[in-house]
This record gives sequence, C-alpha cells and structure tokens, in this order.
Amino acid sequence: MNNIPTGQQAIRILKRTIFTRRRFLQLSGLAVSLLAMGGSLRKLTGFFALRAARAAQPMAAAEDETVITKSVCHQCPGRCGIDVYTTNGRVHAIYGSIDHPLSAGKLCPKGYLGPYILYDPDRFKGPMKRTNPNKGRNEDPKFVSITWDEALDTIAARLQNLRDKGESHRFALLYGRGWGASDAGLQKPFGLLYGSPNVAIGHSSMCADGSKKAKQATDGNYSYSAYDYNNTNYLLIFGAGFLEAFRPYTTNMVAWGHLRTKSPRTQVTVVDVHLNTTGAAADRALLIKPGTDGALALAIAHVMLTEGLWDKDFVGDFEDSVNRFRATGRPVDPATFQERWVHGLVEWWNNEVKERSPAWASEITTIPEKEIIAVAREFGTTRPAIALLERGPTAHSNGTYNAMAIHALNALSGSLFAQGGLFYQMGPSYGKLPVQYEDYMDDYAKSEERKRHPRVDKAGTEDWPMASTMMQEVAKNHLAGQPYKLDTAMFYLTNPTWTSPETGDWEEALKDIFVIDTSPFPGETAMMADIIVPDHTYLERLQDTPTYPFQGWPMAGLRQPAVKPLYDTKAYGDVLIEIGKRMKGPMGEYYRALENTENVLRHLARGFEQDPGDNGVNGFETWKEKGVWYKRPYHWRQDRGKFYEWDGTGYNTLMTPEEVKEKLLKTPSGKFEFKSASLEEHAAYISRKLGIPAERVGFPQWVVPHHPGGGDLHLVTPKVALHAEGRGANLPHVISLMQPTLGGNKTVYLEINPMTAQKRRIRNNEKVRIKSSVGTIEAYARYYHGVRPDTVVLPMEHGHWAMGRWARNRLPGHSGEVTVNVSDPISGLASYYTTTVTVEPA
Amino acid sequence: MAKWGMVIDLEKCTGCQACSTACAMENNRLPGEAWQDVVFYTEGEYPSVQLKWFPRPCMHCENPSCVDVCPVRATYKTEDGMVLVDWDRCIGCRYCMIACPYGVRFYSDEKPLVEPDIKKVFKGDRKYSWSPPWKMPQSKEDWKHGVGIQPDGVVSKCTFCYQRISKAPEGTPDLEPNDPALREFTPACVVACPPTARYFGDLDNPQSHVSELIAQKRGVRLLDHLGNKPQVYYLTGEAGAVPSTRGGREA
Repeated sequence: MNNIPTGQQAIRILKRTIFTRRRFLQLSGLAVSLLAMGGSLRKLTGFFALRAARAAQPMAAAEDETVITKSVCHQCPGRCGIDVYTTNGRVHAIYGSIDHPLSAGKLCPKGYLGPYILYDPDRFKGPMKRTNPNKGRNEDPKFVSITWDEALDTIAARLQNLRDKGESHRFALLYGRGWGASDAGLQKPFGLLYGSPNVAIGHSSMCADGSKKAKQATDGNYSYSAYDYNNTNYLLIFGAGFLEAFRPYTTNMVAWGHLRTKSPRTQVTVVDVHLNTTGAAADRALLIKPGTDGALALAIAHVMLTEGLWDKDFVGDFEDSVNRFRATGRPVDPATFQERWVHGLVEWWNNEVKERSPAWASEITTIPEKEIIAVAREFGTTRPAIALLERGPTAHSNGTYNAMAIHALNALSGSLFAQGGLFYQMGPSYGKLPVQYEDYMDDYAKSEERKRHPRVDKAGTEDWPMASTMMQEVAKNHLAGQPYKLDTAMFYLTNPTWTSPETGDWEEALKDIFVIDTSPFPGETAMMADIIVPDHTYLERLQDTPTYPFQGWPMAGLRQPAVKPLYDTKAYGDVLIEIGKRMKGPMGEYYRALENTENVLRHLARGFEQDPGDNGVNGFETWKEKGVWYKRPYHWRQDRGKFYEWDGTGYNTLMTPEEVKEKLLKTPSGKFEFKSASLEEHAAYISRKLGIPAERVGFPQWVVPHHPGGGDLHLVTPKVALHAEGRGANLPHVISLMQPTLGGNKTVYLEINPMTAQKRRIRNNEKVRIKSSVGTIEAYARYYHGVRPDTVVLPMEHGHWAMGRWARNRLPGHSGEVTVNVSDPISGLASYYTTTVTVEPA
Repeated sequence: MAKWGMVIDLEKCTGCQACSTACAMENNRLPGEAWQDVVFYTEGEYPSVQLKWFPRPCMHCENPSCVDVCPVRATYKTEDGMVLVDWDRCIGCRYCMIACPYGVRFYSDEKPLVEPDIKKVFKGDRKYSWSPPWKMPQSKEDWKHGVGIQPDGVVSKCTFCYQRISKAPEGTPDLEPNDPALREFTPACVVACPPTARYFGDLDNPQSHVSELIAQKRGVRLLDHLGNKPQVYYLTGEAGAVPSTRGGREA
C-alpha cells in the first residue's frame, strides 16, 4: 500500500499477504483453479512424502526455572510496575504487575520492549576512552576499553584539578530522566559539595516546563498535576496526546476503558493540530491553528461567565446572584462580586475575557463559533470536568499564557482538589540518608566566590529570570563564552546533541568540552564523548522511583535487577558516589560515608518502618519483595467550596484559609489567581519580552505567538506511542510499528494535507525537503486528510546519526535540525512547535 | 472441551498496539510478522475526516479455509477450537495463505521489513530460522502446535498463545487476565490490553462472560458472509467500527 487506506481498502490490508500470494500464484500452475474455487476450496491430499525432510522438533529442556522479578519500567516517566520473567538467566517476557496501582496488570505498547533493550547488540560493554582527538559526525571516536578505576580516576582528577584552580563552575552535569533519590537525588549535594551551580542542569525546559509555570502562576504549585480520571465526567484535552504520549500512558488507557463505558460515559473533547488516535477516539476533535489554544480557552471562559456556568461554590458569585457578565462585553464593578477561592476574576473579565467572544476566537483559532459555544456549554454544565493540557499549547512564545487560560477553566468549573478533578502529587515517606551533606561543606564550597558564578544556561539570571532550567541554551552559551566556557560536561539520561533544537550548536560545542557520557547506548552525545562510563540498562539496575504525578497519594517503586549485568557496567548513582570518594577533603569523606546506592536505598526504606504502605511494605526487604510502597488516600479534598483534610477515616477536618494557602493554593493570596502576583513580580521583564503593558501581565490572556523559521507552514513534531520518552530508535520491532496511523513502518512520514501538497506539486509518498532558517532535512511526505492545510506534522523520530545499526541514518531527518532554538520567556520551555518551514519536492 | 474464542470491544480499543508488541514478545515474532496486528484507515476528507483502526488476531474460524486447502494436513483445527500449524509437517507451499480471507498467516522466508535483517544479527542454528536471546524457554517450545521460533520454510500464525491456554484448568468459562490464578493461561494480547478491550473465554459455555458480551452487546464477526464463522467477535458500541464489507466480493 502506498497510501493511507480507506475503510474499503482496509479489508485488503487485512489480507496483507497479497504480495506474497501474487508472487506465489505467478509460480504456481494451480493459480487459476484456486482462484476460481474461491472460498469453497476442497481438501487437497498428497505431498506427504515431503514432510520427512524436516528435522525433528527440538526436545524440550527437562526443567526450566522461571523467576518473576518485581521491578519498574523505564520507557517513560510513568514508572509502571512490571513483572520480569527470567528463565535460566535470560529475560524473555515482561508483563504489568497486577498488584501495582499504576500498571494494574497492564502495560502500554512500550512496556513489552524491555527484553530487546536489554539485549540490544549495540550496547556499550564497559568503560571506554576516546583515542581520536577529532570530534564530529563523521569522526570515529576510536574508543578503547579501560578499567573502571582508570575511568573514575581520570574523571575525579579532572574535577579535582578544576576545583584546585577555583574553576569548579566549569563542570556541568546535564540530566534528563531522573528517577529518585538514588540517582538524580544525589546530584544536588554533589554540586554543592563540589562547588558548581551547573550540577545539575535538568532537561525540563526541553520537556514540559510550560504547564508547571502556568500552574505556579495561578495556583502556586510549580508541578505537573495529578488527576482523578476515574471520577470525572468531562475531559477537555489540549495538545497532550492522552492516548499516545501523555504519562502515565498505561494508566491513561486503563482509565480510558473505564471512562468510555461507565455511566454516565465521560465525554471527551480533544484540541490538537492534527487528528491523532486521541482525537479519533474522542467525542469531538477540534483541529486548531498552532499556538492559539489560549484563545479557545478564553472564549470558553467567556461563555461560562456570560451564561452563568461557573462553579459558584468555588469561585463565588455576585452579591445578589444576578449575572453581570454580559456578552455585550460591558465592564463589571468588582465590588459587586464576592470571591471565594479565586482572586481577580472581575478584573480578568474587565481586562481580557469580555473581549474574548467565541466569534473573536473563531477568527484566531479557525474553529467554528458554534463548536466553541458547544464545547463551552458541555464543559460548563458537566461536573466534575477537567481541562488537561501539556506540551502542545505551551511550546510557543505565548505558551505560559495559553496554559494559564486553559488552567483557568479548572478554577471556573471548581475542579481544583475536587473528586473527579485535579490536584498535586504527594511524596513518599522516605527515611534520612546516613549522612547530611550540609555537614561536609568545606570553606571552598561555602565561599562567596562560589556564589558569584551564574549557571552556564543563565537560568535565574536577568536573561531568563523566571526559568528554573535552560538546557537548550548551554551549547550556544558555551560557544559564545557567555557567561563562561565549560571545561567538562557529564550527561545522564539525556542526549541533547540529538534532542535539542538547532542540534548543530551541540555538535560544535562538545568539540572543546571534555565529555563524559553515562548512557549504555551509543547515542550522538556518546559519539562526542571523551570517556564512557556506561550505566546498567533498567532490567539490571537497583534504583528507587518515587512516582510522577498520578492520583495524588504517595508511591515509590523499586527498580531491581532481573538479571546480573550482562556487561561491565555500573549504576550511574554509584558512578557519582565513586567519583565523590576520589575527591579530596570532606567531600570524599561524605561519599565514603554514603558507601553506595544500595546503602542509600536501605536508609530511604527505613521511613517505611514508621509509615508502612497499604501493601504491607515496611522496610527494605518488603520493598524489594513487592517492588512498590504506596499509601492511599490523597490527604485533601475540596467539596462544594470547602476544603477538608483526611483525618484517618474520612475527609472530615475543615481547613482554614491559612491551611489551604500553606498546603494547596500556594499563591500570595492563598487563592487561585486570575491576576497572578508571581507574574506581576516580573512585570517589567515580561512587558519587555512579550510587549504586554506591565499592568496587564498578571492575567491569563491572548498573546499573538511569534513564528520564526521563515516558512509558510507550521511544523509540529509530536512523539508517537511507540517512542514517547522511550528508547525505540534502535529497535527493529519499534521501527516496524512506529507510525501506524500513516503506515510508517520503516520511516515516519511527514503528514501533509493533500491540498497543501498539490499546491506545491508534491506527490504522495514522494521525498521532500523541509527547510527553515536554521536547516534543511529530508522526509517522505504522505497525504493525510487529518492534518490542517497550514500545518505539517513530522513525528520526532528517526534521523539519528548514531544510536546503533538500526537507528543510524534512517530517514526522515531529525526535526531538531530545522527547529529554531527559541523559548517561552516566562517558563523557559523550548518552543518546539513554533517554527515555520517550507516544503518542496526533493 | 472448551471452544475458545475472543471478544474485542472496539469502543474501548485505543489503537495503542500493546497487543501487537506483547504478542511479538511472548511469541518471538519478527518485526512485521504481525500475528496480532492493528490496521489503521481513514474515511472522508478534511475537515470531515475520520481516523479508525481495527485490531486483528487470527479468527480461529469454525470453518477454516486454510485447513481445507493444506495438502499435508499441517494446518489443523484442535478439539478446543484453535487453528494451528504443525511445523514438522508444513512444506511451506503457502496455499493456506491464499485461502485465508483474513490475511493472518506469515511465511518465514520473507524479505525483512526492517534492515539490517535481525535474523542475521541473531542467527539460528540449522533448526531455527533465527535465535534471539529473549526467545521463550525451551520447555514452552512446541512445533507440533506452531509455538516457538519456527524453522525456515514454514507458515506461522497466531495460536491464541497455545502455550498458555492449553494449560488452563478444565472447565474454566473465562480466562480473566487480572485473576492471578488464570493470568498465566491467558493469551498475551488479552493480558496486555490496557483499556481491557479484549476478553477470552469458552464460546460453548452460555455462562461465560464472552458469551454474555456477544449476546448483550450484539457481537459481530469480520466478513461474516464468507461463512468461515470466526471465533473472534467484535463489539462496536457507540464508537467502534468493523471495516465495511463493501469490498467483500473482491476479498
């Protein structure tokens, strides 16, 4: 097939072996008669003599001993519990743990790929050093094996030397998927003891910081949300890929099966730029113009206010209960409205929402006015209802404001901290570490001189005063020598040489940085490395995994080895500890006292002795046995405008406004802020960067997005279900299933609307060039009626120039090479979906 | 003796392909050797376009055309309802692949879908067509029933995970994957399915959940007019769709 099939053609696809059949028929004299007989074939006899040619069936082994190890998946941040089946020392199957709340006996399609990752033939087999001083795409690093002692001594000596020179800030540790206290949790003390502000620089600014910043600005929590899906009756999903990429993916789908068959059936509306499986499975899919989600959300708010559909218990009401929010857009006197748990609603209306009618939003978003009104009425009249957002709306210059407008809908519908609503994740009851790093800070670490150096990514400086991290800036800052040049950089579970926008900067920057990579896989960053200290893969590793936001109540999984490490690898946490032990002074003493990651985990587990989990986990041994500690319920609930705390038997303790402010709505006002005080603190900066009058910066509002790149088509680069934060690039099984919606089983196709393609004389399945102001890549275009005519969609897959034999040089090119490196000035999130490109036949 | 069958609720199916990846893992399939597949298709034009999908295991027909055409009786129907291939008998003539109206059979000597050929990376010895380190334990391998890594030159297909269901306790009405006592006997795709869109049980037992679902939710079978009588039923609910049979005549 060279097209996306229609329903009729699907029947033929079901008969997928047609090619084989045709080939066979050509060879066979029986062809005509077989076809003529059609479905009423009679039994044929004969040919029995041929069967003896086959070797006898292999004899089954007498005794197989199968062991099931309780562990935690590693293919997205979701942290599903897995049962790993190992027989005679070989892992051959993985299924979801029944007794784990996240996986509930199931796994997403990625979960079953674990054995292929473990046995990836291109894995690194042990520590190595580079012998080719030249670095680049076409340079073989000429790695040679070294001992662990040589590797660790080399790194420690290099770090000690920097420190002795007073240049410890020139060491950076960059990390992606941190898991818990036994890996990423070790980094902050390392940075403080060593004396570098760049230990560690996280990747969340290249992930999803936009939603966190919007939530901090409005309800005071710099965090992803936890959701009570099973009790919600309406899901309004903005750009989150709920059934492809949103985490925890398994749990989303387990919930989906329930939501779509319970009574009442949960209604789902999906807002995205193309029709993905989430949109297709929903009740309604709205294909929105990229970067305009905030306009849609504001119009929904407009309808909810003018039609009186807001939650009076949570939001409050006019003193006389007469609605003064009118579609004519008249200002309202704030004194007439009594606010409950919100702050600045009337001011928001007067300054923003009154102008944001569905007719106005229809112009901006291209979504018909009647659809906007219909969604607003459904959302506004259904309780509980959740407005869910993730990267899509936030990966633009106006991302934080888009997200604030969407999150404002949760306040209007009263779903914050409500049953069937959304809230924030509690942490596990961990015990204390055997030693406290504060006791091991030497004079150098504590000195004023150490505080003088900004982070190399300039997060928190006047360039990015509101961002918590800016990994995408590291390479270009290094190249510019601003604020300074790095000397040494270590990477953990991140590969910015491939994943970042404008990847060329990284290839250039890493040429004169001493690079340490900890990945077990030969990725692009590893190809630029001077030394490789490979981690175990996840089926060989002992590691804690406190949960990502899930259902609010605390949980901590324990990843444990199903097999002994296949090769000479070492857990990253232990690599950090071993480097630390080799440092002079109190820093070395601290790490000697810490011993190793298993000791860390044993101390964490002591916390469970005082606070046993629901599944009986009360220490290290039981934690290992069950693979997870968890404790229901979530401790707080908002019900009809009142907040209650769990007292051991029910949500019975009424909370004071002070307690709500301290524990839940952590804004200066202690309420949900439609006029954000935390943004107003940075009014001058925001005004300068986004051109908004300083007095208006606090409101969730429409800001016209900026689209660099110089093209005439929006380029959006989502991740597909088989990859989404996993590691499928070098797995042939994944490649063969990568893009089922368009039939991409060797490549991933560029989704292009046929109208758009024909105007550019692009034929279906033809190779095209995608160009922006920063680069050019090639891809195969495939006609798809489910993508907007002003947008092309290229899943962020393939285009590796390293990563193993199956990944390397597989078209299409990598989307990062044409994505302009610009970021939302407020959240710092890289604007991955804001570039415009031109597409032409190649 | 049970007559095992499957029910797939298309309203719940999210098109995630967990069934396909779990099947490949459990049964040591090659990339593209989709014993269990999910077929995607579209209807209509922008902006009134639909994206749909259809999960497809072997239908394990009551009247299997593949069995009728096999010249060496390698393909056969078991007493408890499965259609299987005996790799000791199969001569690789592929008549069964022509006869099957559902396209669920695969020949082991196809050109690899993804290069480089994984069969050459994990080479088998003379017996096996390949030998990956994650292959199932030898005690599960069973060529008489088409289970395990196949030799060169044979046809393979979904067995309903024969290595699992053949050990289920006699008289079980349904193999419920979240029941710890039955989980290990349930087909991999049914265990795997995150939204619980799949059910597996005894179609001859009127008390079984699968029989109940087929009756109450009006289960339908794919290309029913061909008369193969699949033992896989689909529930369409409000949202699901079985691909149109308009093309049935050419099928």
